[in-house]
Amino acid sequence: MSESKIARLHAMLQNKEISCTELTQAYLDAIEKDNAALNAYVTATPETALNTAKAVDEKIAKGESLHLLEGIPMTLKDNISTNGIRTTCCSKILEDYVPIYDASVWKILKSRNAVLLGKTNMDEFAMGSSCETSYFGGAKNPHSISHVAGGSSGGVASAVGGNLAVYGLGSDTGGSIRQPASFCGIVGLKPTYGAVSRFGLIAYASSFDQIGPITATVEDTAIVFDAVSEYDTMDSTSQGRKGEPVCNTLKNDIKGMKIGIAKEYFDGVREDVKQAVEQAIRVYQSLGAEIVYFDLPALKYALPVYYILACAEASSNLGRYDGIRYGYKADSYSDVNDMIKKTRSNGFGEEVKRRILLGTYVLSSGYYDAYYKKAQNLRGTIVKAFKNAFESCDVILAPTVPMTAFENGHAVSDPVETYLTDICTVPVNICGLPAVSVPCGCDAKGLPIGMQLIGNNFSESKILNAAWQYENAANLFKPTDFGVKL
Amino acid sequence: MVTKDEMMKIAILSKLFVAEEDMDKLTKDMSEIISFADTINNASDEGTDFDNINNLSNVLREDCVVPSLDREQILANAKDSDDGCFLVKNIMK
Repeated sequence: MSESKIARLHAMLQNKEISCTELTQAYLDAIEKDNAALNAYVTATPETALNTAKAVDEKIAKGESLHLLEGIPMTLKDNISTNGIRTTCCSKILEDYVPIYDASVWKILKSRNAVLLGKTNMDEFAMGSSCETSYFGGAKNPHSISHVAGGSSGGVASAVGGNLAVYGLGSDTGGSIRQPASFCGIVGLKPTYGAVSRFGLIAYASSFDQIGPITATVEDTAIVFDAVSEYDTMDSTSQGRKGEPVCNTLKNDIKGMKIGIAKEYFDGVREDVKQAVEQAIRVYQSLGAEIVYFDLPALKYALPVYYILACAEASSNLGRYDGIRYGYKADSYSDVNDMIKKTRSNGFGEEVKRRILLGTYVLSSGYYDAYYKKAQNLRGTIVKAFKNAFESCDVILAPTVPMTAFENGHAVSDPVETYLTDICTVPVNICGLPAVSVPCGCDAKGLPIGMQLIGNNFSESKILNAAWQYENAANLFKPTDFGVKL
Repeated sequence: MVTKDEMMKIAILSKLFVAEEDMDKLTKDMSEIISFADTINNASDEGTDFDNINNLSNVLREDCVVPSLDREQILANAKDSDDGCFLVKNIMK
């Protein structure tokens, strides 16, 4: 039976088979040894980790019982604010920025004695699909270091896939949790918009951004999601989890569950990826699920709608970087305006500048109606199309990415070509829906293939239930050669 | 099609400098991205108005006083500060 890595390590800690300090040290040693190859971490926090481990060991010595996540070594994407620990968004402009407050998700996990090993690599300001726009260079895929880990949460996926963390939190604006999870052969959940607080997440596109877990197994994802999906007064879009913990229904029978397939999700998808997802459909049939086919023509507008709206929001959100209050500041300048321009021009990387310019263009007078307003209306059309789809099915099954991990350096050459690889992931963010990516096979080179289960708003319990049943039946997890073997 | 002049204007609005030697490539990239974005113009106009994702509505609560951030801590991230304030060059003579 598919088992939870978190639950297994928790039992080892509680039964005193290993101390939390030993467990933490094993991960810190592995980071020391393997991070040079994977480039998953941009900041390691051994002191914080060992201090927490000591506190957990004291609790164990006193015979106190631990929360499931207590003492489990983990990581955070470097756009999630950590009080007193450098948070860079992997940008030169925030290279030495040290937050003075914690993101709400980290506050929750810290209160449970989560062991923070460090902050992980990402595309600069989460803008990219390969992690290669990072100021610190891209994270590598633990299944083949000549390939990318994916993006933008590439560092978390590389660390979890490469056993340099048990789990991590990433953020997903257009696929940034699911795509790297798919490339690295692990599980990644983009929760419903509003289910997990975003207070302290450095903003890219506020109506799309969502924090979620990246883990080795579906049950681990459910455990972490249950822990962090709290209502938060500090985030005006927060609603928290609706209903009982998802762990309660994770292993339910799925006989009669209606799984929807939209053919548009398979347009332009590579043949081996298509076959892997079709094989998963047969697994679901054998589990007694009912397969429902339908059309989703609105999907063809999803990508341009996403890039227009996300870049518009980014151009506004990133207006705050002016060199005055935090971050990089240009050395020499003639006046304030010159200082701001030089700071931004030297501090931002190429892709970030491209998206700011695109966002400014679609919001500028003369183009606002043709692009921004039109895209906003189409967003409504896409939301409606998904709403209709969920009248005939419980979850939608689709590929996560049309292909497997790119070779290093391949993604940066052509922006439009790279944007097209987000075709399967962006619709969910446009509609605020939850979706989980799970491994469903490998290509000829041994690189993982992922598929995603998409649900209606606040139906994380359904998609994770379906994901767990598949994982348990198919058992396609493929270990890597890196990190801690536990 | 995006022109060089338009790019210059957009760069000013974005508070970014674009070096002369990067202008051609950037204009070309932006033209490609914009023509890709133009595919939405093929969609019919019967679009549904979109307000927000989960049809959220305002939730009001009592205002309450909570501790604020420490001024020294806030200023610690600034490159230049003076007398408890962020420091910038004169904007008026």
